[in-house]
Amino acid sequence: MKLKFHWRLLQGGETPNMTRAGEGMRRETGLPDLGRQTEFCRRAEQCGITGLLTDIGATKPDPILLSAALGMATEQIEFIVAYRSGLIPPTTFVQQLNTLSALIHGRFSLNIVAGHSPLEQRYYGDFLSHDERYPRTEEFLAICHAFWRGDDPVNFSGKYYRIEDGRLNTPFVSKVGTSPYIFVGGGSDAARALSISQGSCWIRLADTPANLRAGSKSVLDAGKELGVRVGVICRPTREEAVQAGRALVADLDPVLREKEQEREFTKRSDSVSIRQIYKTAEEEWPAPWLWKGLVRSHGSAAITIVGTPEEVASAFIEYGRMGVTQFIISGWPKLEEMIIFGRDVLPLIRQKERALNEAGATTNHDHHREFAHTL
Amino acid sequence: MSSAGGELKGAKARAAQNGIPDIAAHLAYCEAAEACGIESLLTAFGFHRPDPIALAAALGVLTSKVKFMVAVRSGVISPTSFVQQVNTVSALTQGRICLNVVGGHTPKEQRAYGDFLSHDERYARTDEFLSICRALWAEEGPVSFKGAYYEIEKAAVKTPFVSSERRAPEIFLGGASDAALNLAVRHADCLWTLPRCPEEMAARFQTVLESGTEVGLLLSMIARPSREEAVSDAYALLDRVGGKARQVHEEFSARSDSVAFTGTLALAEQSGSDWLTPWLWTGAVPFLGAPAIALVGSYDEVAAAIRTYEDVGINQFLFMGWPDIEEMQRFAGEVRPRLATASPPRVVQNSHAPIPT
Repeated sequence: MKLKFHWRLLQGGETPNMTRAGEGMRRETGLPDLGRQTEFCRRAEQCGITGLLTDIGATKPDPILLSAALGMATEQIEFIVAYRSGLIPPTTFVQQLNTLSALIHGRFSLNIVAGHSPLEQRYYGDFLSHDERYPRTEEFLAICHAFWRGDDPVNFSGKYYRIEDGRLNTPFVSKVGTSPYIFVGGGSDAARALSISQGSCWIRLADTPANLRAGSKSVLDAGKELGVRVGVICRPTREEAVQAGRALVADLDPVLREKEQEREFTKRSDSVSIRQIYKTAEEEWPAPWLWKGLVRSHGSAAITIVGTPEEVASAFIEYGRMGVTQFIISGWPKLEEMIIFGRDVLPLIRQKERALNEAGATTNHDHHREFAHTL
Repeated sequence: MSSAGGELKGAKARAAQNGIPDIAAHLAYCEAAEACGIESLLTAFGFHRPDPIALAAALGVLTSKVKFMVAVRSGVISPTSFVQQVNTVSALTQGRICLNVVGGHTPKEQRAYGDFLSHDERYARTDEFLSICRALWAEEGPVSFKGAYYEIEKAAVKTPFVSSERRAPEIFLGGASDAALNLAVRHADCLWTLPRCPEEMAARFQTVLESGTEVGLLLSMIARPSREEAVSDAYALLDRVGGKARQVHEEFSARSDSVAFTGTLALAEQSGSDWLTPWLWTGAVPFLGAPAIALVGSYDEVAAAIRTYEDVGINQFLFMGWPDIEEMQRFAGEVRPRLATASPPRVVQNSHAPIPT
């Protein structure tokens, strides 16, 4: 077992307790803040974080270019560039990513999402329905892969794209592969199928390990990884952790109406996961360490592991035992929570991993076999 | 700029050129340009180059003065995404980005990006593209647009164009066809075109200049202490690039539907002399492409040639040189001081040209 931990990048103008609606309301979140963000990157490197998620959205700076700028000021940290099909043609996309790879020595992966707001997709001239966005993304990534595996030239004729004699002279530059690692986000069957056909990892919003088992086997059997988007609130005692979580909701400024805005956002979204998670957030504790209390104010990615360092580390190990190996984490405030994670939680996780791995490859094998049987 | 550090790149077929950016060479080039007082550096667009906007973002955070003129074609990106990317670079570089909008010059290359339109349709689409971009930059509320090529609904980009001088990037539009001229008048701050004799240009671009749009030249420079040295260096350049380069550009021209590019090559091929005027030389065009049309002469003569263009209203210049850095330094040290006018012309440097060793 080797678990990888990523964090969400600090945004311009980020406040310690920023909700999804709050991000939308602050002018500064549309602006990069190179000073604070570069410092955040360096701290992430020190905390043992592998990658930082750079969001995509009409309220954010462009993630490819932000990664290029931050990549010039750092040496180790990777960037997880979120992107959607429907914004730029695949040839341009590959050219931009290959340029980025050459600039920062391949230090990035992709987080491909289908888009969760039909209204926002129309900003970009994309009028497809939720179900059509997946087949379009399938074609989009198939063309990207044709470039990355070196088809010369690339020819493609599909329902959404037609490319003739595509060639690019800037290759994907990296020490570890010939194409970027691809997280495919989304809870639907279509997202899972896409992760198997075109991705490296199927990443979903957090749930209990038992609930996440559904569909997992086909992804692991295809040789792909499983990932979870989750929040973390870790304090010396469980009481302090729970209290810190509750304070995030209690301290919201009623004038900003963040809960009302999150409700409206969910109503307008056509994402299966986002709507489902909002609905089921009534059950606050699906597991003793997994809390949904932030979902209705901070958004669906705010399902949170809450507890002591030992409890939080055990929770990640529990995910690891069911096959989840990649985690993209949020915290409030991002930096302070990341420092706690790096200092108090990550060493425990590594220790538990070592213990498990030392218990013998055989046992590990048995465990996987047992897991496969239970699916 | 995109091929700083390359050797005689323009003489090679595009498919044979190396597209991996050399950040140290690029950075040295930017620093030289800043020292020479060059206003902007062109980062060109093409399948054989690194992406110009990603390159501008990276170099922009490593430099402090020079602007990046990012080339873009419609048909390779949605206008809303493009504005979001341009605005992101403006925020990263304190507004040090301007645009070189081109229609695209080879249908074959456009098809590699999924663009199957004809030359004239590409201009019509670029018109819509720029209408949407400018509406987003105007920041007057959500932008909706329904045209023949684009439909967008209630678009808003939260990252603004950040600059202490402007609310939108300066737009340089490249071309020589009637479609290009009309488009420049509608949307551009400046029309980039290839040089002809000054009198010919005065007549051709009168309406553009009267509309308030500037006209600028895309050209090369070989300036030396004496005319003899300049001419000798010019012909020595041809010896260095050789006959293979000539074939490369004939083949490129056969594929191109650009009026500016093919027109200049035809002019160079057909006229009885390499000299359109005593200082405007087309000799390198068959070898190094249309923008290799060059001002050749002594420092005094080249300065006088620039002033002749200024007299017909042309006040922006995008130069290439062989090698670029040395020519840029000669320009800064010798030519520019001779342009002692109240408002010297604005100069941009382009190094997608060859750099011989």
